[in-house]
Amino acid sequence: MASTPATTRLSAIPASSAPAVPAVRRWRTPRGRRRLGGQVLFYLGVLIVLLIALFPFYWILRTSLESNAEFVQGVGGANGLIPSHLTLSSYIDDFTQLHFLTPLLNSAIVAFGTTVVTIVVASLAGYALARLPIRGGGAILTFVLLAGFFPVLAMVGPLFLLYRDLGLLNNIYPLIITYLVYTLPLSTWLLRNFFAQIPKELEEAALVDGASRLQTLRKVVIPVSIPAVFTAGILSFILAWNDFAFALSFLDSPSKFTAPLAIVVFGQSQYETFFNRIDAAVVVITIPIAILVLIAQRRIVSGLTAGSLKG
Amino acid sequence: MSTKSVARRLRLPSIGGPPPIAGVARKADRRLGYALVAPAVLLLLLVTGFPLVYNLWNSFHNVILSNAGAPQNFVGIQNYTELFTTPGFVQALARTLGFMVVSVVLETIAGLALALMLHRAFRGRGMLRAAILIPWAVPTVVSALLWTTMFDPRSGFVDYLLGILHLPGSQTTWLAGEWTAWAAVIVADAWKNVPFIAIILLAGLQLIPGDVYEAARIDGASTWQSFRRMTLPLLRPALMVALVFRTLQAFLVFDIIYIMTGGGPGSTTETLSYLNWQAFLVDTNFGYGGAISISLVVVSLVIAGGIVLVMRPRT
Amino acid sequence: MTRWRARGSGPSSVVALGVVTLVAMTAIGEALASAPVSAAGKQTITFAESGLGSEGAQTQKAITGFEKANPSIKVNILVLSPNSTTYLQQLEQRFIAGDSSPDVMESDVTYPAKFGKAGWVKELDSYKPNLKQFFPTEVAAGQYKGKTYAIPWFDNPEGLFYRTDLIKTPPKTPAEVVSDAQAAMTADPALKEGIAFEGAKYEGAITAFATVEGAFGGKLNPADLNTKGNRAALTWLYDALYVNKIAPQAVTGWMEGNVESEFQAGNAAFAINYPFVESSVAAVAGPAKGHVGYIPFPANPGGTPGSALGGEMLAINAKTTHAAAAYKLIQYLTSSKVETARAIATGDPPSLPAAYTSTLLKAAPYFKQVETLNKYAQPRPVNPNYLQISSDLQTMLSSVFSNLSKPAAALAQAAPLVKADAAGTGSGGG
Repeated sequence: MASTPATTRLSAIPASSAPAVPAVRRWRTPRGRRRLGGQVLFYLGVLIVLLIALFPFYWILRTSLESNAEFVQGVGGANGLIPSHLTLSSYIDDFTQLHFLTPLLNSAIVAFGTTVVTIVVASLAGYALARLPIRGGGAILTFVLLAGFFPVLAMVGPLFLLYRDLGLLNNIYPLIITYLVYTLPLSTWLLRNFFAQIPKELEEAALVDGASRLQTLRKVVIPVSIPAVFTAGILSFILAWNDFAFALSFLDSPSKFTAPLAIVVFGQSQYETFFNRIDAAVVVITIPIAILVLIAQRRIVSGLTAGSLKG
Repeated sequence: MSTKSVARRLRLPSIGGPPPIAGVARKADRRLGYALVAPAVLLLLLVTGFPLVYNLWNSFHNVILSNAGAPQNFVGIQNYTELFTTPGFVQALARTLGFMVVSVVLETIAGLALALMLHRAFRGRGMLRAAILIPWAVPTVVSALLWTTMFDPRSGFVDYLLGILHLPGSQTTWLAGEWTAWAAVIVADAWKNVPFIAIILLAGLQLIPGDVYEAARIDGASTWQSFRRMTLPLLRPALMVALVFRTLQAFLVFDIIYIMTGGGPGSTTETLSYLNWQAFLVDTNFGYGGAISISLVVVSLVIAGGIVLVMRPRT
Repeated sequence: MTRWRARGSGPSSVVALGVVTLVAMTAIGEALASAPVSAAGKQTITFAESGLGSEGAQTQKAITGFEKANPSIKVNILVLSPNSTTYLQQLEQRFIAGDSSPDVMESDVTYPAKFGKAGWVKELDSYKPNLKQFFPTEVAAGQYKGKTYAIPWFDNPEGLFYRTDLIKTPPKTPAEVVSDAQAAMTADPALKEGIAFEGAKYEGAITAFATVEGAFGGKLNPADLNTKGNRAALTWLYDALYVNKIAPQAVTGWMEGNVESEFQAGNAAFAINYPFVESSVAAVAGPAKGHVGYIPFPANPGGTPGSALGGEMLAINAKTTHAAAAYKLIQYLTSSKVETARAIATGDPPSLPAAYTSTLLKAAPYFKQVETLNKYAQPRPVNPNYLQISSDLQTMLSSVFSNLSKPAAALAQAAPLVKADAAGTGSGGG
């Protein structure tokens, strides 16, 4: 089987067959016509997936640009796929009346803080699990991974009581510790696997030169692991930015709200049930995530899959 | 190449110790190793182990915070018997499991189709991958509110589209009916989570060597046959990972319910996590809430164990 | 040695940069979040309220007046959620945490019994408040086991708004509301519905129901919910949606704000809502402007005109160290002058009958109708377990409005649950 010529193998997988023959010539033969029909169907499928994934974003953008009056009138007639008048008033209201900047900053602080703590803690643990001769490493790794499946709501009650007793309710910083349950399992696993693949000779040179283990980690291992650190960092940021349940349970004044919580509370209030305003805030918190995905989609995909599949 | 060897390639790596250095250095390294894993382990114990124990204690006591001065005395299994004597809990359990099965099955089928699509090389593949990653990466709050808007009878797209196409149901208030509300919740959930399944399964597909298909083709297998007999079995490890993640997430569904339906209409979309939240933060009953939490943990373990047992590689 | 040192300090500088950014952001966040600290020797108290928009602005104005009259007291305003259920959770989290802040708080009429029983708010009888000056129904809402825990701030009777240009004479029976709505929908194609009301699964659905039930001889009595009057009232609302089709199913997602905007935009001929709609409709040019009638929900024979009491009260945190200053603030906010100013600016009706003076009626004539409605305003149950009662009532109403169960069946199912809640033996409640 190893002797199979590479070309045959390629043609067996429809995925890698490059369109070598110009389309015009291809559909002259019956087989070519069938293949072209398949191609058209395939691209139609791609188009449908694209629409399902992205059109809802367009719809909230559209709604967010409606005025209150248009929103009350509803969709239809002249106020169709494009609102009859575009206005930024919902955005202005969100930032001036509802002070949306404060929750955005709170979210940024918490997500960024979680990322930094996660990277430091996960690098140390990942290095120990990959390189140091600890007993029960397998059990420790299993515990770290299993912790990620612990029911969030089962944490809410006891942590609420703990934070209450410590005077830490309605404070965004304890969220950083809490969010580690989202971020540490994946990051530790990712970094441990990456560290394990680094050639040992690299470290041994430094160790022979008299560097301590920690110095080696900091000056040798981490620099060559920047891609993995970056991946773990992005995923941690996204996971921390996305939390709702803990913020809902532990925060009670609007000046402490994270952005997702602030949007939901605006949305539930009896005087503010306007999707145009809510959707403006939704657009605002989606933008940083969309940018992050566009910049780093390869890292996110490799992080998600390496994190769950490969060794 | 046999199924077995591919499966082995995909299986989790064993934890290999480092090569033996000098004995003394090894001892120091071991101590350092424990010191380095300690922060991660202790922090995770704080946020999971501690709640588990505290919930267990609370669940055998009377802990109602709005009852000023009431002693937090031992009540035996009263909180647990209350779980099974109130219709609310049993109904929510059934509903949650129903949602879990339906959403995971639908999402897995869609995710597999999307993974097969992404597995082909075509112009715009990168764009498609980025486009499906955005729904996965945005907060659940975004997907929930976005679909609340989409399903709104006044300002939503769904009823608008049905109206334009002159289809029935263009006046539907989706979140007002039990089954239409569940449909809206499942759509919102799938929109966010199908991409995750697709990405995991795509990675699984990419690990299957091309010569597997070649062998099947030589044996005269049709596309469907080679998919059934080759692709699916070889995807088993990736499927297991996706299923464990998604099934547990679906079982614990909270954000999307809280935001889209608030458990309504009536109590028809109340899930276990939603009941648990209400017990803690509306009723301030941490004993009864603790009992719900313990049941969440136990059922999660049963589900995860079940999936691993069913999906484990057969030898 | 030098070899590995030379390998660049990439990661540590990234972390350092991260920490610096974090600290900087924290500083900005704190600066934005925290209000200025008071000068030494003076005391600062915190007042929690839920007002947005004009209500919030008016509270700020009143506080400025209070600070001017009492230079040694500074008041921080803590704005919590405008959704009453979320607001309650936010307050409870602070109470449970044993927080001494907020010192004074706005409280819906349905909370004081619970707060009093839990020992979270101060008993106010020692201050000898002059309770006779307020509407008695609201005073009763602030009491638990004969002790006073909250003082009436404003008294919000929910009632029926109608478009005077479409409906020439106000309806006199519930059946006339239906026929008038149907006639108006035929006459004016701009109308999207005959009647708008709060049907979302939240506290407002209960006040909408409470507004209607008195008209049918019903009463929100937790011990006896499944009565003929309550069945008739719930059936009327159900029929409005599914038999007479004067209300859209979209009401199942509507809160006060949606109902307000439906009426303001000229989409609805009738609306069940609070007096603030008068001032908000007057503030915006639209088809409803200048054509607003406001009446109690018209009664059937055997019933009384319907209105639900949805007022707000003021209470003091049991843990406060500034009780005297806090009570001073309550006295100021509930004085006739301040209540009148608030009524004119926001449409929040005074809790003092004496405040309905010619000055007020001249500035805002609709308070004449508000005064009438106040006579009929029915309080919701005064019970320390009201939150559980409310939760079960919301579930019942939500399932009827969504056509999941028929009114009679839903009431029969909810009645024993609500009875158990009220007695403190309900599930989960305790």
